[in-house]
Amino acid sequence: MNPSIPPSTAEYGGDEVSAIVLDPGYSTTRAGFAGEDTPKSLIPTYYGKYTYDSQEKLIFGDDVFVTPRPGLSVHNPMGRDGIVEDWDMAEKVWEYSFTSRLAGPRPGNPLQNGLNDTPDNELPTEMEGLETEEKPLADSPLLMSEPGWNPTKAREKTIEIAMEKWGTPAFYLARNGVLAAFAAGKASALVIDIGASNISITPVHDGMILKRGVQHSPLGGEYISSQLRALFKTNAPQPITITPHYLISSKIAVDAGQPPQAKYKTFSPEKAPHASYRTLLEERTLCEFKECVVQVWPGPNKLSGTGPNGVLNEDLAKTSPGRPFEFPDGYNQVFGVDRYRVVESLFDAKAAIPDPESIFPPATQAQTVPELIKNALNGVDVDVRPHLLANVVVTGASSLLYGFTDRLNQELMQMYPGPRVRISAPGNTAERKFGSWIGGSILASLGTFHQLWISRKEFEEHGPNIVEKRCK
Amino acid sequence: MAAADVRDMLDLPAEGQPRPLKKQKVTEKRPEGITRELFALLGERAPPIAINENRYKGRPKWMSKMRVRPWRMAPFENGARSDGLVLRHWQRQNEPAKPALEGSEMEVDDKTDGKNASETVEKDYMFAKYNIKARVPNRYTDEEYNRHLKNDDWTRQETDYLMDLVEEYDLRWVVIADRYDYQPHPVDAETNTTALVPAKRYRTMEQLKARYYFIAASMLALEHPPSEMSEAEFELHEKMMKFDPERERSRKELAALQLNRTADEVREESILLEELKRITANEQEFITERRELYSRLEVPISVGNTTMYQSSQGLSQLLQTLLQADKSKKRRSILGPESAGAAPSPAGQTPASNAPGSARDSRADTPNASAPAAAVTAAAAPTNKKATAAAAAAAAAAATKEAEKTVKTLTPAEEAKYGVQHHERLAPGVQFRSDRAQKLTQAKSNVQTQKLAAALAELAVPLRLVMPTERVCKEFEKLIHSVNLLLDARKVAEKVESEIRVLEAAKEERERKTKESQQEKTSTTSTSTSKPEVKSEQQDEEDGPPLIPADAAAEAATAPDPKGPATAAQAEGEPAAEVKGTSGVPAGSTEGPDGASHKRSASVLSNASDKSNKRQRK
Repeated sequence: MNPSIPPSTAEYGGDEVSAIVLDPGYSTTRAGFAGEDTPKSLIPTYYGKYTYDSQEKLIFGDDVFVTPRPGLSVHNPMGRDGIVEDWDMAEKVWEYSFTSRLAGPRPGNPLQNGLNDTPDNELPTEMEGLETEEKPLADSPLLMSEPGWNPTKAREKTIEIAMEKWGTPAFYLARNGVLAAFAAGKASALVIDIGASNISITPVHDGMILKRGVQHSPLGGEYISSQLRALFKTNAPQPITITPHYLISSKIAVDAGQPPQAKYKTFSPEKAPHASYRTLLEERTLCEFKECVVQVWPGPNKLSGTGPNGVLNEDLAKTSPGRPFEFPDGYNQVFGVDRYRVVESLFDAKAAIPDPESIFPPATQAQTVPELIKNALNGVDVDVRPHLLANVVVTGASSLLYGFTDRLNQELMQMYPGPRVRISAPGNTAERKFGSWIGGSILASLGTFHQLWISRKEFEEHGPNIVEKRCK
Repeated sequence: MAAADVRDMLDLPAEGQPRPLKKQKVTEKRPEGITRELFALLGERAPPIAINENRYKGRPKWMSKMRVRPWRMAPFENGARSDGLVLRHWQRQNEPAKPALEGSEMEVDDKTDGKNASETVEKDYMFAKYNIKARVPNRYTDEEYNRHLKNDDWTRQETDYLMDLVEEYDLRWVVIADRYDYQPHPVDAETNTTALVPAKRYRTMEQLKARYYFIAASMLALEHPPSEMSEAEFELHEKMMKFDPERERSRKELAALQLNRTADEVREESILLEELKRITANEQEFITERRELYSRLEVPISVGNTTMYQSSQGLSQLLQTLLQADKSKKRRSILGPESAGAAPSPAGQTPASNAPGSARDSRADTPNASAPAAAVTAAAAPTNKKATAAAAAAAAAAATKEAEKTVKTLTPAEEAKYGVQHHERLAPGVQFRSDRAQKLTQAKSNVQTQKLAAALAELAVPLRLVMPTERVCKEFEKLIHSVNLLLDARKVAEKVESEIRVLEAAKEERERKTKESQQEKTSTTSTSTSKPEVKSEQQDEEDGPPLIPADAAAEAATAPDPKGPATAAQAEGEPAAEVKGTSGVPAGSTEGPDGASHKRSASVLSNASDKSNKRQRK
């Protein structure tokens, strides 16, 4: 095999039918054409809502971050467990994700836009054709992803939306664990997905999830943010308050650890946006902090334990140079061992920073990644366990935390010293962030996949329950 | 080495033939972008700078002359689907497009597009052939189920459910066991709501497999009775019938144990494996070494020396024999006797000829043996070969003489000078002279060793030699030997001394007794008084220690004895017995009324004396 020669069509088995792949998540919604390597459309799942001229207006996409409109409140149609809570809004957000960039805006209803004013008696015949035309996905098959623990009702609702509201000719609902495994080029894998609201472990065998092994817990990116907030409250020189950029009008550089000197913007109560808007923007700052500063203790052993040569890991962590971070208001500080502490509870529940005000209940040991993996493996047949351990796929944007895969590797080696453990974690951030979307893009552009679509005809014949039978 | 030899080795033609001509000069190609005149100015040695600009290659010219083959969005239907879903993908249009007016064509296309699409939907989809389902057994009928497949543990509904699942998941048991979730018929639940709801039970993969294999095998057997099955079918049938869920379960338990080992266990295993690998590698090495050794021992040793081949005649002869051997390609033993006699070559002296003698022997006697052999061959050879053979024989004889000359015997003085030593037998491996000397100081018994050490200490000779040179060692050996002799002598002397003492004591006793008896006789005593005395003595002895070792008895005898005359008599018997043991003289000298007790003690003591005898012999 010469890698420089592209495979012939028959070899890679691709056959693109201009399908759209939609991978909705808690934090972002990804959409794009199947066969491409990254999603063309990446929007936050959060949407904004405000009233203007006594009319309720909605903001989708990145625009939600931009303007602090008076009374702007931010919502998320997804629940923290990855299941849709607000179906109407979810439909709108998802529709925005592909109409804004991919399918293009459709012309208005030809019946209402005044161009097709026809005599009444001709209407019924023309309506049939027109009705399908106006739907946003009339000529693109749609592949959507869902978490492994999605309940039947939610799945049925999804296909109803796709078929009836968007008018897609063919639909398929795939588990995001399976798709992430496909993105890594594996049909059988243990997928560890560290997302924004959830971490989940999905054992995949021959392209199908093993339901009894699927595990998830809420220790995702948002939980880490809550740990960061708890850390900032008890910060050493002074507690840190996060002031998002939109509240700063100007700032002056200060020394590390000195109180910030910034001019703040103030909004009068009737002009101020809702508190959820501030939370959303604070989250963005925290996200930056996570990217720049936060680090996972790479092991061996826990942060609270001792290293192989008897030195306390905490002491070892203290000797490593700290990382500076400057907040939007100009306050800056070097973070030492604390930057390890905030994520340690992903592996060791006892290391969690207590915060009674947090919306997250304190983490339990059963929610940590190693325990989840152990439970997931105990839920599957013993014969496939070694194979799964040899094909661990790490995906999800929060898994990009510095040192995460090293630690995961250490933990797995400690838990299972016998079998070979191999972690497949792409170094490319896009591949890690959009793992399940890329898998969907691969799947939906395969020639052999096209027999699996649920066609409109089948949907009409069997009803929404067909999704349970076909998307196994 | 001459060039001719190299040529010969490499099978190249002899010199003289013209060599393949090398290209002397490659005319440099004029790079693009430089005019011919300018390039000519550069001369022959152009500077090593590439003067060509990077630019987009574009399509080759011949391509632009070709007509663009259009692609079109073509609808297609997947043969693997039953619902006739029509999807669209890009396809290269292969029929030549009609060269027609653009505008009108477009319109026509638009109009007919819908019709065309429905007409030209591809029917044979390339990927439909990959739609393969696993072969599952035929479904049973009600009658078949009731007759052959009934099972107390499985209802018909659950069996159906299992078979559906198996078909749906193409026999992927991992997935089937994962998804298996059979809900008993809801009617049942309604009818006996009062009854306990049966606890939801999980079927293990082994149970599912066992049931499925049983059904599959039964259905196979129903289809063809086992006698009519093809071999593959029969094998499958056998395999499915022999499925043992219990064994499978225990295997999985073991697999789980293996998976959940601790790090220490894993480390230990890896160490053991490493050890095993090392051992097998060593063994392999050992075997190969031994084989090599054997092959070296068995290889025919070249007998004659090469002097005979130094003459041109000898060489040509060798060449001839080799050629002959090459031609026949047979072993010498198979060949006729005349060729065997004719060749005084090393190949002639196969090990078969001197098989009984060991390799060393053959080597030892080669110089002598080869000459007569050559002489014999010379005599036996036909006349035309006579001259050459004789020459070879003469050469060989000269060689042996030379060899004898070179072996020079050393005088003892020279040997000492050069440090040449002769050993009788050498154990393999390295050994130290000091060790050997050390070994001498270790006697068999601990007591002896201590005595030896004491003697050496008395002589102020250190146990461990300070300078164990050859001569010192020899002296030391002598010394140890004489010390041993001394110790032995002392031991014997002591023994003899003690014996003498005992005998003297016995003698005194006897004299005293005889005196007493004489006195008694004179003082008119009867024998009746002595008899009960003897009896009591016997009892005494039985009460006392039953078995007395010889030494202890001897000691008892030598020690001042407060006991009566009986013990003294006993003691008298002992040395007698010992004397019997050592000298072979029967111990019958004792007399008197206590003969019975004497016999017993004598027998006991003779055993002991046998032992001592053995010790002495040692």
